Amino acid sequence: MSPGALRIAHGGVLRGAIWGQRRRVAIGSALLIAHQAGEAMVPVIVGATIDRAIVTGDAGALGVWLGVLAVTFAVLSVSYRFGDRFVERASQTAAHDLRLALTRRILHPRGGAAEGRPSGGLLSIATSDASRVGEVNVVIGVGASAVAGITVAAAALLQISLVLGALVLVGLPPLLVLIHLLGRPLVRRAASEQAEAAGATGVAADLIAGLRVLKGIGAESAAIERYRDSSRRSLAATLRAAGAEATVAGVGILLTGAFLALVALIGGRLVADGRIELGEFIAAVGLTGFLTGPLSLSSYVVLDLARGRASAGRVAGLLDSPVAVTGGTRAPSPPPAGAVALRDVRHRGLDGLNLEISAGEHAAIVATDAADGAALVELLARAADPQAGSVQLDGVAYTELDPDLLRAVVRVSAHDAELFDGSLSDNLRAAAPGERVDAALVAADVADVVAALPGGLDATLGERGRSLSGGQRQRVALARALAADAAVLVLHDPTTAVDAVTEARIAARVRDLRAGQTTIVVTSSPALLAAADRVVLLAGGRAGATGSHMQLMHRDAHYRAAVLA
Amino acid sequence: MTLAYEQLPVAAAPQTRRAALALARPRRLALAAAAALVVGTAAGLAVPAILGHIVDLVTDRRGVAELTGPAILLLAAAVVQGVLTAVGQALVARLGEGALAELRERVVERVLMLPLQRIERAGSGDLVARVSDDVAEIAEAVRQALPRMASSALIVGLTLVGLAALDWRLALAGLVAVPIQAHTLRWYLRHSAPVYAAERRAAAARAQQLLDSVSGAGSVRAFGLAPDHIARVERRSLDALALTMRAVNLITRFFARLNAAELLGVAAILSTGFVLVRSGQITVGQATAAALYFIRLFDPINILLALVDDAQRAGASLSRLVGVTAMDPPDEPPAPPRPADASVVLQDVRHAYVSGYDVLDGIDLEIRPGERIALIGVSGAGKTTLARVVAGIQRPTAGRVLLGGVELAQLGRAATARSVGLVSQEVHVFAGTLADDLRMARSSAGDDELAAALERVGALEWVRALPDGLATAVGDGGQRLTAQRAQQLALARIVLADHPIVILDEATAESGSTGARALEAAAAAALEGRTALVVAHRLTQAAAADRVVVMESGRIVEQGTHADLVTADGPYAALWSAWSDGRNA
Repeated sequence: MSPGALRIAHGGVLRGAIWGQRRRVAIGSALLIAHQAGEAMVPVIVGATIDRAIVTGDAGALGVWLGVLAVTFAVLSVSYRFGDRFVERASQTAAHDLRLALTRRILHPRGGAAEGRPSGGLLSIATSDASRVGEVNVVIGVGASAVAGITVAAAALLQISLVLGALVLVGLPPLLVLIHLLGRPLVRRAASEQAEAAGATGVAADLIAGLRVLKGIGAESAAIERYRDSSRRSLAATLRAAGAEATVAGVGILLTGAFLALVALIGGRLVADGRIELGEFIAAVGLTGFLTGPLSLSSYVVLDLARGRASAGRVAGLLDSPVAVTGGTRAPSPPPAGAVALRDVRHRGLDGLNLEISAGEHAAIVATDAADGAALVELLARAADPQAGSVQLDGVAYTELDPDLLRAVVRVSAHDAELFDGSLSDNLRAAAPGERVDAALVAADVADVVAALPGGLDATLGERGRSLSGGQRQRVALARALAADAAVLVLHDPTTAVDAVTEARIAARVRDLRAGQTTIVVTSSPALLAAADRVVLLAGGRAGATGSHMQLMHRDAHYRAAVLA
Repeated sequence: MTLAYEQLPVAAAPQTRRAALALARPRRLALAAAAALVVGTAAGLAVPAILGHIVDLVTDRRGVAELTGPAILLLAAAVVQGVLTAVGQALVARLGEGALAELRERVVERVLMLPLQRIERAGSGDLVARVSDDVAEIAEAVRQALPRMASSALIVGLTLVGLAALDWRLALAGLVAVPIQAHTLRWYLRHSAPVYAAERRAAAARAQQLLDSVSGAGSVRAFGLAPDHIARVERRSLDALALTMRAVNLITRFFARLNAAELLGVAAILSTGFVLVRSGQITVGQATAAALYFIRLFDPINILLALVDDAQRAGASLSRLVGVTAMDPPDEPPAPPRPADASVVLQDVRHAYVSGYDVLDGIDLEIRPGERIALIGVSGAGKTTLARVVAGIQRPTAGRVLLGGVELAQLGRAATARSVGLVSQEVHVFAGTLADDLRMARSSAGDDELAAALERVGALEWVRALPDGLATAVGDGGQRLTAQRAQQLALARIVLADHPIVILDEATAESGSTGARALEAAAAAALEGRTALVVAHRLTQAAAADRVVVMESGRIVEQGTHADLVTADGPYAALWSAWSDGRNA
């Protein structure tokens, strides 16, 4: 796949979400329009019933008009029920499609989307933002029905009386706009204060997440004090916001009520003058009340569309993020020999690094600067391409190879390699359908972990392996890497949380298990270094002294300093 | 280790009701809110009656001049309703939000004071859900449902009074809709609770899967797991979608059924009006008013019925919060004796998380004031449990622990926390500024004291280099710190809190070997002048300690200075040789 194929036209997100669901949105909107039109007809029919049946005492007319009322209700009820379902399904499906597209982008083999963004932020784009973009489909249906309701009511009003109709149609929208404008600064302030109000929840969750740390230093009272402060600040902000909202609501009621008084006064005079009928007066008053519904709905529609657009921008920003590694579609030559070379590589702190690992070698790298070690691991995993120079597998530059196919040959287990929700066995077998799993369990010394878990290999690890201790997690991650049985395996500080005896055992077993296969360990642990065929000291961004661990311990002071505590 | 899982308590219905009533205690505020809402709603309900009066005036062909009076009344009703609605809503918010704030503070306070043992038995997920989700649920109810329910209920109630005032038979006609509404509500509540609960669970599962895949994107790529993870996300997302649509189907059926009730009610009122007008018992204006009243009821009734569900959910959340506040706080001795010095004594301490499986099997240990002990052993030897027992976080099943000659039980939690500090492998940077994080340890500390503590653990340089120095936002939502820097902050907090006794439980692990060395130097500086118990797997820390204590299967198997133990032919010598193999040229 070329990197260009990843890009999605900006702004296309919102249009795509609607266009992809156009049938559902069209059908749903049509039904919601029918519903709103039916709602608009109810006061008209009630007015007609009073005028034609109650005033005249005509029982037949009563039957007819009640029949009309029943049919209207049946239509509005059924069309609401199914119209809402259509637009909701359109909304949910569009959000689901976006969510998957986002997941694909974040997990794409060429990377570049998730780096440098906190997981929580990514989660909120894939959940709330995707939902908000999808909801635009509901907004379209509701907006269309509001327009229809306004149109029907307007037509009915103009039919009754040009004067009354004109008064309502010319007077009411500006009035509602006025209410909206009066309220806007208040509502805006309310929104920013709501954000502060949410703060208290964040503080509480944070304190509980750090509860052990907090108890360890006896900071309970300080924590309670801090929470009380933020809770009181939240309360004050919320009350200011609530006051603003109450004022807006009150002003709205006052102004629409006053307008109704005006309509009643003028309408009453028209009836008294014999210019309109009594039923029409009742309908006009009813319609004025009805109209405030769809009219104020339009302001929500505008607001929701704006929110949908903002969310679509965030979604597009993530989908469009440039890939971290470009180029390369070839597959590594089968079967891979497993020779890895770095030539004149510049990347972060690496400054002209040349490194040659032959096929089947068990090599270790000690970095005097931990950041250089991390940069090397990043390049070997092809999480990034070097600024200059090249990384090669069996003589072919990484940049010519397809990243996924390359990683099937070169497996890199990062220092903070994440485990996944699921059973221990799921985690171990994820990248290893083969029979290496049992041998890997032994080599990584995971037997005691398996024994301690209720259910053994089938035990659920829970969120990212949180049920395990740091040392246990590390050993399971190591076992997963070993089980993958790759031609080249890169391990970064795999045993920092493991005790010395276990570490020495692991070092020897890893060496045996990987015999004949290329293994590169980036570490400063003497136990792992001693097990390597050859150790390379990485100093000043370049390869320095090379030799066995023992040789280097004897002859190189820098090496001793880097390895010994 | 498997622990018996024990949920935190949930209050019973009567207890929850009592607590809710007690929270709404500012009686005068409650009365004022109620009065404002009642009068405001009544003013709004005068509108159809006045309109009906206008209908009668024009039907009787009275002069146009007579219409002015009712029109002014309509205006007055609008003013009264508008003003009182604003006042009433603001008062309801004051009442509800004030009570909510008090409740959430009590909950968090009680939670933070609970013994860690108890919290671990309940799982921290339950706690986080209570202080965030449950509080949010109630806040939502207080902000949205409560005012809307209050005003809707008032409108419905006062409208019935209004109808009855026109004619009792009109009110009766309006009540025809009630059986349908009651039946619909019962049907809805029966189905909605499980559907909504399943929907929330599915949404949570979807979020968790997304977080799992997204935060592990590096490993997903490294092991070529993307197709599997995309399929997992798709499955979770489709599950959630299906349940959301079930909820949508339910709510649309609910409102469609309520339409039937509306139709029946309007038809009944119009028919009754027809009969009563024909027999001359009411005027056309009264019939009009009745019909208008009823049409205006559609929305409030729907709101009221739809909110019953929210109210039930908020009730469930409330009982979970009240359950926490009703827990007994741990006993605190009123005047605990002062520890004489910074010594630690353990006498035959035993502990079992599950009875019969002793993790600590008779520990006797004396630590002199100022002495530094290294606690060594393979994983599972009981080192962490011993550390927690000394820190007073885990109460042992048997035996005595004395700090400065005073038994832990007599000392109580607060005094113990003043004497002992514990830093474990678990790192947490509290959200807020870096200074706020440090002041968790001593709130009165000035900026110079903070700087001195940071200096001591070798962190001052990088803190100064941060964009805003001590005022830099860190933790959740702020600048991300490496595990090593976060742990340096933890050590700086120990310096600030100035505990005479400090326990470090693998506090320097998990930061890579080069980082571990820097942290060890920081730890050594932080421990200076304190009694220290250091659990470590890096034996450099053992070599630097005054005394090494080796544990195996819950017992102390060997102790002495590093030099003595290395030459003795015991377990420590074996550990040391494994550790230093390859370290000695």
